[in-house]
Amino acid sequence: MVMENGKILEVKDLAVSYKVYEGILKVLRNVSFYVLKGEKIGIIGESGCGKTTSMKSIMRILPTNALLEGGEIYYKGKNILKISKKEMTYLRRHSISMIFQDPSTALNPVFKIGPQIYDIVKYSSDRRLTKSEIHELAISYLKQAALPEPERILDSYPFQLSGGMKQRVNIAMSLASANDLLIADEPGTSLDVTIEDQIMRLLKSIVEEKHLSIILISHALGTVRGFVDRIYVMYAGTIVEYGPTKSIFSNPLHPYTRLLIESVPKLMGKKIPEGIPGVVPSYLNPPLGCRFSTRCPFKMDICEREMPQVYEAEDGHFVACHLFRKEGS
Amino acid sequence: MAAILEIKGLKKYFKTRKGTIKAVDDVDLEIEEGEIFGLVGESGSGKTTVANIIMGLYLPTSGEIKYKGNNIAIPINKRPKWLKKEIQIVFQNPASSLNPKKTVRQILEVPISIHRPDAPLPQTIYELLEMVDLPPEFIDRHPEELGGGEKQLVAIARALSTEPSLIVLDEPTSSLDVSVQGKIINILMKLQKNFGLTYIFITHNLSLMSNVANRVAIMYLGKIKEIAKSEEFFTNSFHPYTKMLLSSIPVITEEEEKLKPKKILSTGEIPGALKLPEGCSFHPRCPFVMDVCKVKDPPLIEVSPNHLCSCHLYLNKQ
Repeated sequence: MVMENGKILEVKDLAVSYKVYEGILKVLRNVSFYVLKGEKIGIIGESGCGKTTSMKSIMRILPTNALLEGGEIYYKGKNILKISKKEMTYLRRHSISMIFQDPSTALNPVFKIGPQIYDIVKYSSDRRLTKSEIHELAISYLKQAALPEPERILDSYPFQLSGGMKQRVNIAMSLASANDLLIADEPGTSLDVTIEDQIMRLLKSIVEEKHLSIILISHALGTVRGFVDRIYVMYAGTIVEYGPTKSIFSNPLHPYTRLLIESVPKLMGKKIPEGIPGVVPSYLNPPLGCRFSTRCPFKMDICEREMPQVYEAEDGHFVACHLFRKEGS
Repeated sequence: MAAILEIKGLKKYFKTRKGTIKAVDDVDLEIEEGEIFGLVGESGSGKTTVANIIMGLYLPTSGEIKYKGNNIAIPINKRPKWLKKEIQIVFQNPASSLNPKKTVRQILEVPISIHRPDAPLPQTIYELLEMVDLPPEFIDRHPEELGGGEKQLVAIARALSTEPSLIVLDEPTSSLDVSVQGKIINILMKLQKNFGLTYIFITHNLSLMSNVANRVAIMYLGKIKEIAKSEEFFTNSFHPYTKMLLSSIPVITEEEEKLKPKKILSTGEIPGALKLPEGCSFHPRCPFVMDVCKVKDPPLIEVSPNHLCSCHLYLNKQ
């Protein structure tokens, strides 16, 4: 299949709104990002900034009140917003997979793990598998997810497993269908730190071994920092900055990114961060210009009127902020 | 400084159909007046159970708990009025700890009129709002009209409204975004300084803890594994569990990376509370496990001045 410059996924100018009782929530605006083959990218941002909505758009699992108001999503060169439902199902079964934040709600509580994982293994294969082949494969996926006693896991109900084990089962299930791209939506957030650490190490080794591309979504900056090659920072439904992980942390450019990094309490102690003044604007009536303009300490007149363009500030490091506007543009 | 709260041999067991859960098992603590005492631990370690016992929401199975020398192992509905005034709590989730049908005025009015009948209303409410940095017009709003951080500030104002000496903060910022967390913590620190309050600060966020607490205790499966001054705890910890927890924290700067103990990788899972391991409860996950760990639970002893640790590795080094 055609892939432009090795981009396995490219999202262009995505705009998504939600219809609610109060009116239209204008959530995503001008969201563009891409993932290269075998690349690990991270999307960071606070709750309600549109991270999950972006991912649901890719999987085409947006809720019924969502309005897709513009944009294209190219997966392996094909616009997946235009393909048929059947083709999309094929992709979900054979190519893209998603791991959700809460491992307990991602599993069906009234079925044992066995039948749940068998179904996924069965439908993600190109040919008809025998029962014993399905079982073998399921066991091998559970083993890859570092689950001890896979036979016992298959015979357990979700409530009999701990949070960490349930998340490992979800990872095992996603292995069956993720042959190219894995989307991990806050995979460790609901777990304890020591368990989260284990899950993140496991995910990293699997992704690297199988040369998968991964989109890691998280609000925890530390988790993303140790994992991905490139980072996109989202604020209130827009992407404000993106670039290599190292330069995002060593040289954050957008005022929001800078303040966000400063807000994280550091292990050295002694200094309590100030946080960011103000609140996230309402999606019902978002600012016309830059969406961070209501809280930005460097706000200029233009920020209230115009959404900023994306400028390349250093090599591969882009920022959507009027402060970086070049002369004559 | 004198101890404001003394806990000795505190146990809380819950009987279930499947067996007994030892949520808190033999905990000794002394909290000094005016300090910020940190309690860390992963889910199920018993830190909230300790908080609930202090508040009188649970009665201990056994053990002593004394507030300024008075026994306070009394259920909340039988506690004397002065005691309720003295100890207050701020819960993790302000959305569920504030009554959605009441306005901020009604929420703050009740504790003031009960515990400080002479305080003028509504001036006292305005003063409280000012203390937590909320604008006066919030007085007639309902919780649903406020943001998460603002709701938590109302909960803090409510805790302050009785003029308490001791406030239990049970994960006060865990449900908030990191950009608003800073403001809440700074207000809490300012109030602590201004009024000489004592805080018991419960959180699983170690980076945050290192910034606020004077002393830190770490719990694992109902037991305290280590207690130390904050600086000691984060730079020179003894217990393998503390080290594992510290080495698991995702950090964002090189400076912090250097502070983390490198060698201990997190392994294993927290065992179920129904079937605790024999001996030291951490031994199935411990990289330094010895034979003695599997049979004998190590006592909590002073390894270096004011630094207590419960581990066989340090038992002979006294």
